[in-house]
Amino acid sequence: MTINYILQQLVNGLALGSIYALLAIGLTMVYGILRLINFAHGDLMMLGAYVSSIFISATVVPILLAVLIPTLLIAVMGLIVERTAYKPLRGAPEVAMLITSLGVSRLIQNSTVLALSPQPRAFSLPGDLTKTVNVGGIRFTQLDVLTFLLVIVLMVLLTLYINRSKTGMAMRASSENLQAARLIGINVNWAIGAAFVLGSALAGTAGFLWASRYGIIDPFMGFLPGVKAFVAAVIGGIGSIRGAVVGGVLLGVAEIGFVGFLPPEFSGYRDAFVFSLLLIVLLVRPNGLFGASEVERA
Amino acid sequence: MKSTIARKTVVLLGGLVLLVVLLGVADATLNNYYLRILQLIGIYIVLTASLNLTNGFTGDFSLGHAAFMAIGGYTSALLTMPLAARALQLAELPVWFQEFVSPFPLATVLGGILAALVALPVGLVVLRLRGHYLAVATLGLLIIVKSIASNWEPVTRGARGLSGLNAETNLWWAFGWAVITIFVVWRMVHSPFGRSMIAVRDDSVAAASRGVHVFRIRLVAFIMSAFFGGVGGALLAHQLTAITPPTYSFDLTFLIVIMLVIGGSGSVTGSVIGAIIMTILPVILRDLERRFELPGVSQIIIAAALIAFMIFRRQGLMGNRELHPSTWFMKKPATPASVDAPQQ
Amino acid sequence: MRNIRFMALGVSAVMLLAGCSAGGGGGGGGGDSDEIVVGAVYSITGSQASIDEPAYNGFKLAAKEINDAGGINGKQIRVAFSDAASDTTTLTNVVSELIENDGAVALGGTNDSTFALAAGPIAQAAGIPFVASGATLPTLPDQVGDYMFMACYGDDLQAQAIADYSMEELDAKTAWALVDQAYDFTTALNKFFQERFTANGGEIVLEDSYKSGDTDYSAQIARLQALPTQPDVLFVSAIPNEAGIITQQIREAGLTQPIVSGDGYDTPLVAEVAGDNSKDVYFSTHVSLESEDAVVQDFVAAYTEEYGTGPENAFAALGYDTMNLIADALKRATDDTDPAAVKDALASTQDLVAVTGTISYPEGSRKPSKAVSIMRIVDKVTTFVKVIEP
Repeated sequence: MTINYILQQLVNGLALGSIYALLAIGLTMVYGILRLINFAHGDLMMLGAYVSSIFISATVVPILLAVLIPTLLIAVMGLIVERTAYKPLRGAPEVAMLITSLGVSRLIQNSTVLALSPQPRAFSLPGDLTKTVNVGGIRFTQLDVLTFLLVIVLMVLLTLYINRSKTGMAMRASSENLQAARLIGINVNWAIGAAFVLGSALAGTAGFLWASRYGIIDPFMGFLPGVKAFVAAVIGGIGSIRGAVVGGVLLGVAEIGFVGFLPPEFSGYRDAFVFSLLLIVLLVRPNGLFGASEVERA
Repeated sequence: MKSTIARKTVVLLGGLVLLVVLLGVADATLNNYYLRILQLIGIYIVLTASLNLTNGFTGDFSLGHAAFMAIGGYTSALLTMPLAARALQLAELPVWFQEFVSPFPLATVLGGILAALVALPVGLVVLRLRGHYLAVATLGLLIIVKSIASNWEPVTRGARGLSGLNAETNLWWAFGWAVITIFVVWRMVHSPFGRSMIAVRDDSVAAASRGVHVFRIRLVAFIMSAFFGGVGGALLAHQLTAITPPTYSFDLTFLIVIMLVIGGSGSVTGSVIGAIIMTILPVILRDLERRFELPGVSQIIIAAALIAFMIFRRQGLMGNRELHPSTWFMKKPATPASVDAPQQ
Repeated sequence: MRNIRFMALGVSAVMLLAGCSAGGGGGGGGGDSDEIVVGAVYSITGSQASIDEPAYNGFKLAAKEINDAGGINGKQIRVAFSDAASDTTTLTNVVSELIENDGAVALGGTNDSTFALAAGPIAQAAGIPFVASGATLPTLPDQVGDYMFMACYGDDLQAQAIADYSMEELDAKTAWALVDQAYDFTTALNKFFQERFTANGGEIVLEDSYKSGDTDYSAQIARLQALPTQPDVLFVSAIPNEAGIITQQIREAGLTQPIVSGDGYDTPLVAEVAGDNSKDVYFSTHVSLESEDAVVQDFVAAYTEEYGTGPENAFAALGYDTMNLIADALKRATDDTDPAAVKDALASTQDLVAVTGTISYPEGSRKPSKAVSIMRIVDKVTTFVKVIEP
């Protein structure tokens, strides 16, 4: 095993982990406030990928629009989902919200199947972004680099936003204690809406990035990455943006490392490994790497 | 009091006789297709009523029921597989095993026991968590079990799965197990143990302070739930006669969860109602799909109905009440579930 | 005490079902003498949809052509269909429904061996012949029984063809194998390929695996690149959904060896997803839709006219052939309302000219020995290379 091989697997892991991180940010913000595991989050990513595919097929539209339009549309979509499906459940047991989010996930998947087609669809980004560059024997694409930088920038911006802005403070107060925040006159619904809009926007962007990286999209592509991103958020410490990013990147590296450094017979246990990691983190360090103490334990 | 018990026994026996007669009539008159659907109802009652022990009564929301079903299904399939099919599929297993064919009832019970045995260490670990974290951890369990089923070639044959089983599941086994499950779950719930379960669900700290062994209660419920999950998995395997890892998928867990919440988690009769509705509804919807050539619509309708249910009637059809035809002709018995519970 | 209410519910359930049977669906009891009911078992939603939908379209097209030409023995064919939704429970329900409620005299369908193994025994028990369209498990008819037939060749045949082609035409001595662990078809194809390849003196330098639904193969590819000497060919046992993306990632990594595979690669997705990277790919399949053969060209033209697009893949042709196999047997059967007679007629099928090659069942076998087509993809274009006779 050469140093090159190790570095190559690390780069592969970072590229995958960056997308997990983008999804995990949205999940962690929503969970932080509502205690909701939004199973539909990955499906929003899928919608983002489909919206994006409409715009890349029209060659006149620059790539920037293929990123921005899904980002905006999915942000709105996230807000609609929140207001119609989750808002009526305020104060309901958390399990009710969890089941609802599973229902929303199924609804989005199957509506996409019916409206479009169950057939997977190719997604190829014109231009050089997805062309491989070879630096000292390590291969990656420009898009991988951009994704990684984007995640870091977003992490800094969002952390600043949440710590400094009025909405950000409302979000933090709501995640400390939803009832108390409401009592002291914070517009809790506004804070929740903001969390959904921001999180879903990132899911929309992630849809574009995922589709560009892997070149194929289908109506069921989002669910597993969504659940894995939640695992990432738990590893990082739920409620923490920094934790979501670090957790996402770590999970990506661990997943690729598991496949890359163990004998090939183990490759099939890839998902099992991810969830074993989750179990270990939950039991050994339930608040994750950066989380505030919150896990409900018996 | 004595007469009440006597009357209960009479009603119980009368009910059983009526069930046997009805099943006999169904067996004699319905074609194989409708028998198949009826059998599925029996199997889903086993699964829903058992999932209710954790998700409804102790409030430990598990998404891992299909994991236990898979354990029960694979175990029983390995045990009952006819010799001819075995020689073709399981040549890598030891010779003594290739010659041992277990009768179906024994294999079903062993499938349940193995699921329960797995649930013990798993429960010791995951029940340290609650709420959402438990849900995701049990989802993880399901994915881990599925990975093992997909990769353990010599035993599970990986993606090829096990096939050529005898179609042992019939109306009598399906409903026999349904009655046993209901009976056991009902007895557990309407006992001091059951009151502890509900106390644990509603306020585990208060329950602990009153001397309830919270963890032990939850663990026992988890293991019992796994046992019947395994039994249900075995019944399903012998209805389908061929199983692969995707047979016991997250979709199946999700279907059982829907049955539970629609019927009302916390109600034994609710589980039965939920199982019946959610077996028949997809069949009717598929019929509509067929007639109007709109494939996929039934999935959308079910998902939308689930969301509407959670918004407008999240306690399910039954809430935590029980359906008591016996109260039509005698005074209402006290249900422990009516300890006013804001949950569900 | 408590059980009575379950009885009550039981009553309602039974009555509901009885009501269904009396009202809905029950109309087509198979008794009508002017039509013959043939059941189609396909999943047009869920994971199987991308291969089952074209097959179902081909099946319907064949039935329509037969009916337009006057039907069989003066009777029209009615295709009874209900979506099996890529789910074993639904699939088994559907098979039972088509037999019991629609009165199908023969069934055709499924492109997946595990589904065929669940569906087959129901038909076998009911004594209804079942023709599997694209389920390529070689032992399928023997495992299910004398009512089970295959319209396609077995995986052993196509794996041997592509292994031979790799060694003889591509001069391969060593191969790398990447296998999807999630499918019966992919694991079997891999097994037969490796058997043939090593039996003829080749060497498998590394076998690696993944699971359908994975989208990132960078770890496996990096391991391949880290091998001390590169293998001559890359054997990828994948289903259509992943075929393009794996090709794309292999070529992106700078690997240039030929990629060889089975009919899982017979999908436009390879060219669409891999784009300029879709080069030097060789795969075996049931039929070349580009073939000059008149039977193939007529089929492609008819399909295009009926559905507005050309056949998506060879499964469309297999679905078409499945219906024609059944129709041919119905014509020859001593009694076209008797499933047992139809079964006997099917078993004696000889030299039926079909889109995917001439179909004959050798004595005592219900698996045709057919020719395998080898195809090549160069720069997004799929071309026919050669036919390998069994």
